Amino acid sequence: MRKPSSLTYSVNEVPPLSVTVLSGLQHVGLISIFLLFPLLVCREAQLSPDKILDVLSLSMLAMGAGAILPALARGPVGSGYLCPSIFTVAYLGPSLLALKAGGLSLVFGMTVFAGCIEAALSRLLRHLRALFPPEIAGLVVVLLGVTIGAIGIRYVLGADVSKPANGRELAVAGISLGTMVALNVWTGGFLRMFCALLGMIVGYAAAALLGILTGSDMQRVMDASLVSVPSVGHLAWSFDFALIGAFAVGALAACLKTIGNVTTCQKMNDAEWVRPDMHSISRGVLADGLGTVTAGVLGTVGVNSSPSAVGLAGATGVTSRRVAYAIGAIFFALAFLPKVASVLSIMPRAVMGAALVFSACFVFVNGVQIITSRLLDVRRTFVIGLAFLSGIAVDLLPGYFAKVPAQFQPLVSSSLVVGMLMAVLLNLVFRFGVRQTERLRVAPDAIASAEIEEFMEARGAAWGARRDVIDRASFNLSQSIETIVEGCEPQGPLDIEASFDEFNLDLRVSYAGAPLELPEKRPTNEEIMGSEKGQRLLAGFMLRRYADRVQATHRAGRSTILFHFDH
Amino acid sequence: MDLHEEEVSGVTVVEVKGRIDSTTAPALGERLTANLGAPKVRVVLDLSRLEYISSAGFRILLLAAKRADETGSRLVLCGVAGKVRQLFDLGGFLDLFTIVGSRDEGIAALA
Repeated sequence: MRKPSSLTYSVNEVPPLSVTVLSGLQHVGLISIFLLFPLLVCREAQLSPDKILDVLSLSMLAMGAGAILPALARGPVGSGYLCPSIFTVAYLGPSLLALKAGGLSLVFGMTVFAGCIEAALSRLLRHLRALFPPEIAGLVVVLLGVTIGAIGIRYVLGADVSKPANGRELAVAGISLGTMVALNVWTGGFLRMFCALLGMIVGYAAAALLGILTGSDMQRVMDASLVSVPSVGHLAWSFDFALIGAFAVGALAACLKTIGNVTTCQKMNDAEWVRPDMHSISRGVLADGLGTVTAGVLGTVGVNSSPSAVGLAGATGVTSRRVAYAIGAIFFALAFLPKVASVLSIMPRAVMGAALVFSACFVFVNGVQIITSRLLDVRRTFVIGLAFLSGIAVDLLPGYFAKVPAQFQPLVSSSLVVGMLMAVLLNLVFRFGVRQTERLRVAPDAIASAEIEEFMEARGAAWGARRDVIDRASFNLSQSIETIVEGCEPQGPLDIEASFDEFNLDLRVSYAGAPLELPEKRPTNEEIMGSEKGQRLLAGFMLRRYADRVQATHRAGRSTILFHFDH
Repeated sequence: MDLHEEEVSGVTVVEVKGRIDSTTAPALGERLTANLGAPKVRVVLDLSRLEYISSAGFRILLLAAKRADETGSRLVLCGVAGKVRQLFDLGGFLDLFTIVGSRDEGIAALA
């Protein structure tokens, strides 16, 4: 693992305490806005203000656990990354369904169930790996960025049609977002690290100056107790088979989202990132599931790893897991400090929107980078394109999807769910006809270099292989054919076989003729210039160096060279 | 492979587009031998549009550099980037030639 130059403190490093605490506060400031979701459920349940504060306080305990569990680096739980959990839109729809069907006890009970489902899925990830190639994980991240960004834009512009944002709110959003972007782009060190928190503080100040934060907001904060223990008297749990599907889809979406987020964390912390580490992802998904179980037990809605927090960590360059522990500790403390919690609860909509849009930018681009880390052929183009458009359709045509029968609503509850389901389904369909081994026969007197290059490009795209590995394999194929034809007197065609799985690319060149020399030592410049044999020795040397492993055999007049590339 | 040649400020700029392999290397070799045959000639070889170079191509470049030494001429390579640069590195050629970033830098280096 090599620390990227964009990071100040990477996952395994220990920042100074001040940096850890301030980063934790920044994250808390950002992700606490998702307390909106349990707040929504509470209002739908028509709870009293005191009970709402109890639920919010218990929700903070859940967020504390949801920050620490994923960051655990030892044992079977936790990816080890700074990847805290938030209350997620994936469970919001099912929770509202459960509330309608059976009240809060059903919400809490089914949330525990969903967490168990996600925990179980974590054990199956390795078997399901074929369903979640990097481009689908990247698509999930892109859709998350779009989802977060869309929520942010709605907050900035006014989520309710009846209450669009006025000029002052737009100004607050602009000032807040502008501060975050300016600090991130044109400053470094402390200011860049805490650009989001500073932008939020500036947003609060602007909102107070422009009268968006009113006297009654301040009074609400003054009236809240300084310290109190949240009541648990309302807690109860029940179960309904009819809601299994809705919450299972939520768990699957949460699982995929976590795969995407942990993948982003891996990529963000390692300049030499090649492919997702499924062990780490599996532990991360288990932690995420246990976080949702904890949330249900504590009497709130399900949690899921936060792409906005991951994006914030990347934007600020502080990805140390110590920050996750700080986030957990802060939330545990806040759960018993209703006055502080009430400050968060009065965060202006415009400031929330600005912070969401800011984070969404990084999440979105990260997703694009994950998708494009692999070659894409037409199959994968359609998987990504159709799935993305299907997901976006949910946001573009909400009225249409609102007419879907109630039992299928969870399947169309968000762009993420629709996009993810479509991507997985299309990927399964398009796997038909993709062979993992392809052959080519080349006549030595009719070498078409363009055909050889196209062969490797097309295979690479069909397999979704890494660009750099395909480039190396393509060179080895062209150079070996050229050298064999020039110097090995092949009698008959050259048979090429290329085979691929996620970890290996193997090229086999077989022909009737003299073996190709593959020296381990570079010929001297004099040898290279002196004769064509020197040129062939140079070719053999380069072929050996460019592959990760080479094997050459010669039996009964037939020579075979195997080039192996680690993928 | 396409070759394009022009004179800029007394420097001969030869641009190579496409692939240098055993089929096309002889043509490049002939052009460079002709250019570097006269004494004290200055040549910039622009490889920015080169897609592929094999051992045959590297041999031609080595021979061209040797020819330049013999005639007191100078040869500078420019635009060696991406996959082509990796191949130069693979074959141990990055330190054997004077390599600059752009054509303008090459011309300036030979001025």
